[in-house]
Amino acid sequence: MQMARSIFTIFITLTAIAAYAQKKATINGTVKDAVTGETLIGASVTIQELPAVGTATNNYGFYSLAVIEGEYTLLFTSVGYKKIAQKVSLHKNEVINISLSPKNDLQEVIVKSKRFSNDNVVSPQMGVEKLNMTQINQVPVLLGERDILKTITLMPGIKSAGEGNTGFYVRGGGSDQNLILLDGAPIYNASHLLGFFSTFNSDAIKDVSIYKGGMPAEYGGRLSSVLDVKMNDGNDKDFTVQGGIGLIASRIKVEGPIVKDKGSFMVSARRTYIDLFLKAVPDSSINGSSIYFYDINAKANYQFDDKNAIYISGYLGKDVLGLKDVFGTNWGNSAGTIRFTHLFGSRLFSNTSLIYSKYNYMVESFQNNDGFKATSKITDANLKEDLQYAIANNHIVKFGFNILHHDIAPGDITTTKASAYNNRHVEQRYGYETAAYLSDEWKVGNHVTLLYGVRFSYMFLLGPGTFKTFDSNGATTSSITYKAGSVVRRYLNPEPRFSASYLINDENSLKASYSRNTQNIHLLSNSTSSTPVDLYVMSSKNIKPEIADQVSTGYFKKFNNNAYEFSAEVYYKWLQNQIDYKDGAQLLVNQDVESQLTYGTGRAYGIELFLKKKYGRFTGWIGYTLSRTERKFDAINNGSYYPARQDRTHDGSVVGIYQFSKRWTFSGTFLYGTGNAVTYPTGKYNIGGITTFSYSKRNNYRLPSSNRLDIGATLEGKEHKRYHSSWTFSIYNVYAHRDPYSVTFRDSKTDPNMTEAVETSIFATLIPSVTWDFKF
Amino acid sequence: MKTPLFYLMLSLTLLTISSCDKVIDVRLDNDSDKLVIEGNITNVSGTQTIKLNTNVAFSNTNTYPSVTGAQVKVNDQYANVYAFQESSPGIYTIPKMAGITGGVYKLSVTTKGKTYEANSKIPVQVALDNVRAFKDNFSTDENKKKITVYYTDPKGLGNQYNFLLYVNDVQVKRVFANNDDFTDGNKVAFDLAQDDISIYAGDKVTVEMQSVDKTMYTYWYTLMQQGFKGPIGGVTPSNPPNNITPEVLGYFSAHTTQTKTITVK
Repeated sequence: MQMARSIFTIFITLTAIAAYAQKKATINGTVKDAVTGETLIGASVTIQELPAVGTATNNYGFYSLAVIEGEYTLLFTSVGYKKIAQKVSLHKNEVINISLSPKNDLQEVIVKSKRFSNDNVVSPQMGVEKLNMTQINQVPVLLGERDILKTITLMPGIKSAGEGNTGFYVRGGGSDQNLILLDGAPIYNASHLLGFFSTFNSDAIKDVSIYKGGMPAEYGGRLSSVLDVKMNDGNDKDFTVQGGIGLIASRIKVEGPIVKDKGSFMVSARRTYIDLFLKAVPDSSINGSSIYFYDINAKANYQFDDKNAIYISGYLGKDVLGLKDVFGTNWGNSAGTIRFTHLFGSRLFSNTSLIYSKYNYMVESFQNNDGFKATSKITDANLKEDLQYAIANNHIVKFGFNILHHDIAPGDITTTKASAYNNRHVEQRYGYETAAYLSDEWKVGNHVTLLYGVRFSYMFLLGPGTFKTFDSNGATTSSITYKAGSVVRRYLNPEPRFSASYLINDENSLKASYSRNTQNIHLLSNSTSSTPVDLYVMSSKNIKPEIADQVSTGYFKKFNNNAYEFSAEVYYKWLQNQIDYKDGAQLLVNQDVESQLTYGTGRAYGIELFLKKKYGRFTGWIGYTLSRTERKFDAINNGSYYPARQDRTHDGSVVGIYQFSKRWTFSGTFLYGTGNAVTYPTGKYNIGGITTFSYSKRNNYRLPSSNRLDIGATLEGKEHKRYHSSWTFSIYNVYAHRDPYSVTFRDSKTDPNMTEAVETSIFATLIPSVTWDFKF
Repeated sequence: MKTPLFYLMLSLTLLTISSCDKVIDVRLDNDSDKLVIEGNITNVSGTQTIKLNTNVAFSNTNTYPSVTGAQVKVNDQYANVYAFQESSPGIYTIPKMAGITGGVYKLSVTTKGKTYEANSKIPVQVALDNVRAFKDNFSTDENKKKITVYYTDPKGLGNQYNFLLYVNDVQVKRVFANNDDFTDGNKVAFDLAQDDISIYAGDKVTVEMQSVDKTMYTYWYTLMQQGFKGPIGGVTPSNPPNNITPEVLGYFSAHTTQTKTITVK
């Protein structure tokens, strides 16, 4: 525990630094939206008289600054809000809570370059993208359903898993290597309708950040990224109802104060209604089918005083798909978080969360002779303590721990009496993922900022159950039965995290980072696209923790009075203990599923360019990624590196939003990407009368490249005292491009003595949609 | 377990009615002239056949060059040696041979100075109880039928099956493999779900049922998984693992066989 000791030493030193910083007084408080009372994340707090001092509000809108006593002007700014300058005569610790008013005028006052506004040039954090909900709501989307997961794939380094699929790949990682958090609760399957829509109803979402590299120490558990989604707290000033009616779904949100300025609630719900149209179709195989999803987000909070607050949030989403008398299936996530925030003194901010999260699916067959019901679920309970200590103006220390309990029921089959199937139960698995972390953001002088820390992840796989080991052929080599609570396997992994930024001047900076991430929960799926039949396994005697080491470096710039941001980042990532499947692998409801796996390594590297216009009538961005993602498995391609499926050499996107007038806003997105790496045949032969294809190398070809243009327009209703409404029009795939989804091979339909390649596209036409939104 | 996933795939197919297919030109690499062995020994007395040919480029016609002049023999565990004769180019046969249940057969093929060997065991024969046709629930065509086969799986794991389906004497170009992982010891109704040939009343349908050993099941099952196409995607394709060393394409299967023919009503 050498490392733990040195961290302890660092911590003691930092505390000592804080003690020496005398004659200082602390200002702390919360920054909120003046209209809705929502806390503002990442608002900048600076002091006019002390240009080197400043901070940004944390995830709860909280800030804390320690300065030498004196007379100051505090400046509060946040994108899209009017700036506030507040005079303060500082002789003792002060609490200053501020409410910022949103800007409505077209000609935004451009925020002058500020060293400590929390922007991409100043912050030592790299590899992070923050999405603005206003922009998400204006980007054109499929069937009018705004979707944060689809919008983030327009960012460099983040690639969509495919058209009509909400899965995403970050810097060469798999789609199960993303940690998706909704108010801190992990969401295991973030897609609805087999991937066409995401589980996030953007009405209920306040803030979205995704970390692609240089992961802050408070996050862990997945290799590639953290998508941190935060729900709205609810309006604590006025009671409002808003909603929308779209082509396939309707939404409604109700929010209002519980106690004015002290507590509020928010409930938001959404449901699709294609099934109602299907009922009207005379064909019995269609009108007997059920197909819908819904989700509900709810949150309530209460601020006891300036130091104590409680937040309770919940999510429930479900998909139902079935055919009358044939089969039924449903799947969904549920999550709940209870969170207490407390301020110790004026500088130590504590946030304690109890988190519950569950994903389950059920498949049922109603047919007489093969009736069965198969279920699977994963349930997590999590206690998390995060502390943020503003030790001095140049040190912000974050530390905490987290104890997460997994309960995985991989599969159960129950059958009817007449069924051909047998009942089956795969042993439930239990384990703990625990972690402790410490990090410090240290401003070393005016130019250099370091963000360094470490996260220890300690994972236990627990009994009861029989745990086997397998050799490379999948044969059992040992089998040991453990009692309840006994430790089957434990893995301790220190994960160092380090980022540094060098501020060349107010508008230019260089950054570098190194981080290690480990992952102890693995999704098994040998299908090339997402299905709800997700199977999760923990690291075990056979499966070692996946490990990723990433180094990245970048150049960041802002110009034209901060209206533009530019960044160029390069990264290189090494991956260990990656998982693949043997041929003919049988993953579902298989007690010995681990015998079906093989293990290898991977590497990914690339460069990401990003140019963003943040302010003005015209906003948007251009992103481009040049990258390579490879895997290496002994049994594949003679053990040499081969391109992973998600290897996409070029990936680019352009997003533009133009506010034409007070009422009209136009938007467009264009994207282009190299096709996925796929395995095509290199010959054919005949087996049992069937043309069969022979293969030489894994992922030796590319699907044709994809490109698509979507456009949208929003018409705000006329100003009205009591209500507000707007129309959103969008056209997905404007020039009806056939984006290739897959290419398959078969005997020719026209000449049975030949074979042909067939390209399948999901959307071969343009898809228009219209949505009406209201608020009162 | 194929069934739940299979349902999901079918439902996605229903979902994406707007999806569409187009024949495209793809220039594929050519890795041809590789030996393909297709050997079958059945429990039915008669001519047993081992075919040898090579694979061809994707752009060629579906005709495969025969491998002639090879030495082909099969041994059983009672030290019987069956020498196969080349009755027509690339087709090696022996008249009047019957495999026996429980028998382990060893194939040996020598061609161009190289010898290839494979073992396969004929499992217990399981009776094909019945073949029936039902309305296809997943089709919007009210008259379309699907074929269900019935058999009773013997108690004890380790029974594997491979089915071949013919409609009016034309083979359905799909692989249907099943094992008893989920159905051990039960009366089983197995749907031969396929989209190759539509079946209607009046069609003559023949089903061949084979009881195969575990290696052959993995071979057929892998081919079957790769055959699941359509919008939800299948597994990454590869040459299915077989029982022949050194590695070549194809298989050697010793199995039981029985057929049943019905006229669809």
